[in-house]
Amino acid sequence: MPPSNSLPPKENALFKRILRCYEHKQYKNGLKFAKQILSNPKFAEHGETLAMKGLTLNCLGRKEEAYDYVRRGLRNDLKSPVCWHVYGLLQRSDKKYDEAIKCYRNALKWEKENIQILRDLSLLQIQMRDLEGYKDTRYQLFMLRPTQRASWIGFAMSYHLLGDYEMANSILDAFRTNQMKGPYDYEHSELLLYQNMVLAESGQYERALQHLQKFQSQILDKLSVKETSGEYYLKLKRFKEAEGVYEDLLKRNPENVMYYHKLIEAKQLSDADEKVAFFDVYKKEFPKAIAPRRLQLTEAQAQPVFERLVDQYLRQGLHKGVPPLFVDLRSLYADQSKAETIEKLILQYIENLSKSCTFSSEPDEGKQPASALLWAYYYAAQHFDYKKDTDRALHYIDAAIEHTPTLIELFIVKGRIYKHAGDPVLAYKWLEEAQSMDTADRYVNSKCARYMLRAGHVKRAEEMCAKFTREGVPATENLNEMQCMWFQTEAAATYQRLQQWGEALKKAHEVDRHFSEIMEDQFDFHSYCMRKMTLRSYVGLLRLEDVLRSHPFYFRCARVAIQVYLRLYTQPLQDIPQTTEPDTG
Amino acid sequence: MNIRCARPSDLMNMQHCNLLCLPENYQMKYYFYHGLSWPQLSYVAEDEKGHIVGYVLAKMEEDGEDNRHGHITSLAVKRSHRRLGLAQKLMNQASLAMVECFQAKYVSLHVRKSNRAALNLYTNSLGFKILEIEPKYYADGEDAYSMMRDLSAFAADNKSEQSENLEIKSESAIVSQC
Repeated sequence: MPPSNSLPPKENALFKRILRCYEHKQYKNGLKFAKQILSNPKFAEHGETLAMKGLTLNCLGRKEEAYDYVRRGLRNDLKSPVCWHVYGLLQRSDKKYDEAIKCYRNALKWEKENIQILRDLSLLQIQMRDLEGYKDTRYQLFMLRPTQRASWIGFAMSYHLLGDYEMANSILDAFRTNQMKGPYDYEHSELLLYQNMVLAESGQYERALQHLQKFQSQILDKLSVKETSGEYYLKLKRFKEAEGVYEDLLKRNPENVMYYHKLIEAKQLSDADEKVAFFDVYKKEFPKAIAPRRLQLTEAQAQPVFERLVDQYLRQGLHKGVPPLFVDLRSLYADQSKAETIEKLILQYIENLSKSCTFSSEPDEGKQPASALLWAYYYAAQHFDYKKDTDRALHYIDAAIEHTPTLIELFIVKGRIYKHAGDPVLAYKWLEEAQSMDTADRYVNSKCARYMLRAGHVKRAEEMCAKFTREGVPATENLNEMQCMWFQTEAAATYQRLQQWGEALKKAHEVDRHFSEIMEDQFDFHSYCMRKMTLRSYVGLLRLEDVLRSHPFYFRCARVAIQVYLRLYTQPLQDIPQTTEPDTG
Repeated sequence: MNIRCARPSDLMNMQHCNLLCLPENYQMKYYFYHGLSWPQLSYVAEDEKGHIVGYVLAKMEEDGEDNRHGHITSLAVKRSHRRLGLAQKLMNQASLAMVECFQAKYVSLHVRKSNRAALNLYTNSLGFKILEIEPKYYADGEDAYSMMRDLSAFAADNKSEQSENLEIKSESAIVSQC
C-alpha cells in the first residue's frame, strides 16, 4: 500500500533527482527540481520535498530557511522516515548531536531497516559515547549486512568498548576465519593486533600471548609484536623470555628508556650496583647511544660510583659541545649530593681549563678544544641559576659571552637567569638579543614572544610572532587558525595580570573552542578507521578524546576564565567609567 | 631522552612542538590523520617529564604498488635539544617501520633551500639525495629541494638489526620542514 503522501510518477522522478543532486552536491539543480514539484499547487505542501529543499538550502549556507523548510516538511508528513532523517542530518550539521539522534530514532520508527539511517545513527552514538545505543545499532547493521566487513568490525568494537571482551573476541574470531580470506596484508595485520589488544584488555595475558605467537608470522608490525609479547611475559613472570624480547628491542632502538626499565624488571635487579653493572653492558653494546649512559647516572649511588661516572659523562659532553648537557642532567639534582658532586667537578674543570686547557690537573691528559671552557661556563651558569644563585649564574654566563659573543644559547640562558631572578623585562631584552642573532629560527622567536608576554607586552609579542605567521592576516588570527595554544594560553594569563578581563576571557574561549574542534575532529575517523583497520589507534583516539580537556593547555585557560568570572561576579564592572567628582569644597 | 613510537595521546604535544619550532603548521586533524592512517610511522623524543622535544610525522604515499614510499611530513627537534642526534634517530626508526609495515622502497621529503643545517643532516648523515627543485613550494614563495633516501638497506637488513651501517656519522643541528 503506497503511503498517502506519495507523489505520482512524474513528480516522483523529479524527487529522485533532488536526492541525486544532493548526493552529487549539485545544490542549485536540486532546488530547481524541488521548485518544479512545489510549484504545482497539489504538491505545494509535500513534506519530503519541502524537507529536501531545506537540506539543500542548508548546504548553500542558508541555514535559517533550511530549518523553516525542513520543519514545515516534517509537520506535513510526521510519518516519513525521509523527513526525520533529513531533520537529523540538519541538526547534525549544526552539531546538535543529541537532537539528531532523536530524529534518526524517529526515522527508524517508520523504516526499521534503513541502512543509511542506521549508519548515521551509529556514528552519532559513538561520537556521543552512547555505547549501549551504539551496540544495538551495530547489531542491527550486522544482521542486515552480514557480508560487509564494517558490519563485523563495528559489531565487535561495540562490545569491546562496553568491556565485553569475550563477545568482542568471538566476533573477531568468526570474522577472521570466515571473512578475511585473501592476502595477509597490512589491514589483516592490524586486525590481528586489534584482536590481541582486546584479549590483553580482558586480562588474559596467557591467551593473548598464545594468540600473538600463533599469528605473528601474519603481522607486519614487528615492533608491536615484540613490545606486547614483552609485556605479557613480564605479566606472566616468564622473565627469561621477557629478557630475550627486550634485548631484541634494544638492538632495534637503544634510545628507548622503557626497554631498559623492563629489562631490569625481567632480570629482577634491585640493587643499585647491579643496575650500574647492567648499564655498563649496554654502554659497551651501544657505544653511541645516550640512554644507557644517562640512565646509569640515575641509578648510581652518590659516592663513589656516581662521581666517576658523571665525571666521564660531563667531560664527554663538554669536549664534544653538547648544549643540552645541563637540561639532560637536571633531574639528577633531586639528589642533593649528586648536585654537589657535579658542582665540584664543573668548578674543577673551569679552573683547569682556564689554566691548562685540560679537565684535570693530571699531566697525561690531552689538551681540550677551546670550546670546552665555553661549555663549562655555560653549564655552570645554568647550574647556579638552578640553585637560585643569580650572581654566580650571571658571572658564568658573562664569562661565556665574553669567550664567544656569537652563541645564541648564551643569551637565552642569560634571559632565563633574569626571569628566574624576577626581572621579566631584562629577561625578554636578552631574548630579543638572542632572537636578533638568528631571525630564521622560530624556536628562539617563540621563546622571545613568551618572555614578552611574561613581561606584560602583548602587542610586542604579537609582532614578534608575526615574523612567522602568514602575511596579510593579523598574527593573532593566524595563530588562532593554527591552534597555537601556547600563545593563547600565555596571552590569557597576561591579560588577566593586566586586569584586562575581556581580553583574557577572549583568549581563554579561543582555546576552549580549539578543544571543541578537536572533539569534533573525531567524527570522520569513526568510519575512516574501520575502513583502514587501524583499530588500536582508533580506540586510542576515543580514549584521548574522553579525557581531552585534562590537557594542561585547557587547564590553564580554564583557571584563568574561572578566576576572571569570579572576579567579575564579586566586583562587577561599572557601566560608566568612573569619573572623579568635581571638587566643590 | 627517550625515543618511541608516537601514540594518539602524543599528537597534540607534537603539534605544540611543531608550532614552537617550525614555520609550517597544521591543524590537529592533520596530525590525527597521520596517527590513524599510519600509526607505526611517527616517532617522538621526550624528556624525563614526558615533554616532547622532537618528533617525526610521517606517512605513506600510496601511488601504485611499484612506487610505495614513505614521506616525511614534518621533522623537528627543539633548539634546546640539539646535537644529541635525535633527528637522525627519529628518522631511522620511522624509516624502518616504513619498510616493515608498508614495504616502502624509499622515503621522500621536502626541505627549504635556505635550511642548510637540515640539508646537511639529510645528505651527510642520512643518505638523502636531491631529486629536484620544486619552485615556490612553500607558502612564502621559497623553493624546496625534493629529496629521497633509498631504503633497500633497511629491507635487506630487516631481520637482523640494522644499526651499524645506518649509524650516526655527524651530529648536525637541525630544525627542518619537509
